[in-house]
Amino acid sequence: MLVAKDSYMYEMIRTELIDAIGAEFVHTCDDDKLGHSIDYYWIPEMWHDRGMPTPKPDFIVHPGSAQEVAKIMKIANQYRIPVTPWGGGSGSQGGALPVYEGIILDTKRMNKLIKIDKDSLTVTCQTGIIARHLEWQCNKAGVSTMHLPASIACATIGGFLAHRGTGVLSTKYGKIEDMVMSLEVVTPTGEIIRTLPVPRHASGPDLTMLFLGSEGTLGVITEVTLKVHPMPEAREFRAYVFKDFHTAMSAGAELMRSRLQPCAMRLYDETETLTHVSKVFGKKLDQGAYLVFGFDGPKEIVELQMKYAREIMENKYHGEDYGSQGGMDWWKNKYKFFYPGFMFHIPQAFGTLDTVATFSDIENVYWAMKNVVQKNFPQARFIGHFSHWYEWGCMLYARFIFEGKDVPADPGEAAALYNRVWDMAIRAAIANGGVINEHHGVGLKLGRYVKDLYGSAMPVLEGIKKQLDPNNIMNPGKLGFKGF
Amino acid sequence: MMNIDKYTDAIRNCRFCFMCRHISPVANVTFAEADTPRVRAVMIYGATMHPEWWSNPDYIAMLYRSDLSRCCTRHCVNHFDENSLNIAARTDIVEMGYVPENIKAIRDELVAGADWQLSGKADVLYFADPYSTEAGTDRVFAEIMKKAGISFATVSGCGCIGRALKVLGFADDAKAAMTKFAGVINASGAKSVVVSNPAAYHALKVDAAEWGIEINADVMHTSEYFLSCGLNISKQAGKLYYIESDYLRNYNELTFPHELLAKLGAEEQHLGASCDFLDVPDQQESFTCGEGAVVLPRIDAALVEKLAKRVVEQVDDPENDRVVTASAYTKIALERYTSLKVETLEELVLKSL
Repeated sequence: MLVAKDSYMYEMIRTELIDAIGAEFVHTCDDDKLGHSIDYYWIPEMWHDRGMPTPKPDFIVHPGSAQEVAKIMKIANQYRIPVTPWGGGSGSQGGALPVYEGIILDTKRMNKLIKIDKDSLTVTCQTGIIARHLEWQCNKAGVSTMHLPASIACATIGGFLAHRGTGVLSTKYGKIEDMVMSLEVVTPTGEIIRTLPVPRHASGPDLTMLFLGSEGTLGVITEVTLKVHPMPEAREFRAYVFKDFHTAMSAGAELMRSRLQPCAMRLYDETETLTHVSKVFGKKLDQGAYLVFGFDGPKEIVELQMKYAREIMENKYHGEDYGSQGGMDWWKNKYKFFYPGFMFHIPQAFGTLDTVATFSDIENVYWAMKNVVQKNFPQARFIGHFSHWYEWGCMLYARFIFEGKDVPADPGEAAALYNRVWDMAIRAAIANGGVINEHHGVGLKLGRYVKDLYGSAMPVLEGIKKQLDPNNIMNPGKLGFKGF
Repeated sequence: MMNIDKYTDAIRNCRFCFMCRHISPVANVTFAEADTPRVRAVMIYGATMHPEWWSNPDYIAMLYRSDLSRCCTRHCVNHFDENSLNIAARTDIVEMGYVPENIKAIRDELVAGADWQLSGKADVLYFADPYSTEAGTDRVFAEIMKKAGISFATVSGCGCIGRALKVLGFADDAKAAMTKFAGVINASGAKSVVVSNPAAYHALKVDAAEWGIEINADVMHTSEYFLSCGLNISKQAGKLYYIESDYLRNYNELTFPHELLAKLGAEEQHLGASCDFLDVPDQQESFTCGEGAVVLPRIDAALVEKLAKRVVEQVDDPENDRVVTASAYTKIALERYTSLKVETLEELVLKSL
């Protein structure tokens, strides 16, 4: 606790927060503190599972506007109180955890859709809106953000911006950073700024990109203008099973090099095909690697692209065609993988070692991570799929899983085991051309690798942080920045 | 053994799951993480290791703020039942003696006020429950029956037939209330009991059976009954928003309301939006303003007001759009806090004759 609850300073700060945004929106109750003490990161989940106390904020504030966020920032600076932004809380990296207590700034009250510009095909909204709610409202107007991640049900748009999230249609429509036109940001010292209104220009460095992926360490993104797209006339998927993962990867890479434009592509390695894909679809897939892809847009163009894609899959790489139904099974079940009963769950220990690399490197990265996990942790399973494909490479969504019997009961030992897997696997990825993360962010979980990854550029990053946040109040201890 | 022990699956699976966050009705208006199935399950799991949590007033208030709509369970691909877990936790709180005074006061009023009277004798017995009486649904039902030339008897009065007491955690009182009410119904000699109130329908159809209480009559919701009567529909209902009932849809997957709406020529628009798992538009979130919790206005009227105002945000033209509900409870809440034009299914039927 920042200051004892029976201290008069606690009441002084609470009074100021209430004065800034209203009593209804300043919470100090135990239930909301508990709710903000655990996100989707395995360590706090395990900590709670073992009956250990999880760090809790002193205050939870729900501002409704950038102006109210600015007032909170000024109070936090005056009293040197850490502020941790919280959107949906569904991040898997511990980025929204109040590890230094203080203020949780929950953005979900900032949930207004401000404008859909049908001439420019953009939508402007506050960033606390849950992504699914924004997508519903856009659909009602006949457009789509095309940002459809598995966490669409729970994550806010601000959360995606803060950690550079991505959705299942990223191969055509891009990651969230490709979708952004401009931002409104409240800086740690309480200034409200706007980045340039368009993303393509020659008018100096790009401040929009500075804040994307900053994970609440450089300010609070309060408003965004995103590109939207017309609802496609057609969206078709097709699935193939290849004899092995290498052949499937070669086919997928060739499809990307052909410069056809799939909206999505996903390749599951042999293990995940056997265990996960079979389970979710309720179909027996005994061997091979499952690859699914799709196209969307005008029907004739979709059909033409599919024709060329089939030639690659069937004639060159001899994939076994599971047809459009096999592909639509995946599309309809794409979120089902993440519901309890299909998703890994405590008492298991599990983590997503997602990384991204070029086609030249990606198989090396896969094998390096798999080998290091299997060699050092023989009791763990390693599965992987390749979720997001670019012209030059793709993302590896690798996961390790320990069954409950193999996880120490002692929470400290369990955390130590967990961290050792990350240390070895992530360093193996970096050594082979990968990066520490592709779309889940850094947060608390991966902060210790940021210095390795950035090398001599790290002081530049730290200098920006110091300039914007002189009192280090914004989400301290995350993204590799110093603690409070 | 505690009541929550029957719902270990829900505790373990809901506590770290965020997948129904977007359709958490209370969290969507309070913005509080605490008002999600996830955090309620986190707290209940924590209480299994830290028994002192059961007496924490903040945690107790959190549990009693839930709308109990069961839309999370319906949405979940494995249908983990956080809703029943919450009711079990409330029951444990009551049994441990930690029930708050405001909840106990509601219980006392419900138990003391229970008084049911029969009026008339017929094969069809209509249950004019307190909400239906307050909304005038009983009078509308009577007019429909008069036009259709069907005679019916009525059971009416005040108090609770068990559901409200059950959701508040007073399991024994709930069973006693249903036993008393079943005695009145069985004494009527009616072949069918027709019920407008979705919560009462659930109590008679599901709760009574779970408690081993026999109801010697077919229990029918009015939508099912109207479909069976061969009513002569002369006017098309037209374009409207239909608010799915928690008890009819999320608890019982009853399709009769939609069949009735189709028969009435209703052109249904959908509140909220569709679900990716289904090929047809499907209202995922509950917009009943707390029908599932039965007596939520007595626990937190300000919360019900917020839930009602969220419904206004969902329609295109709040001043002119027509909103139809199967629930007199929902009609009362929406009319109290908004200017929406709300009709019950019964009113829609009457206008169509």
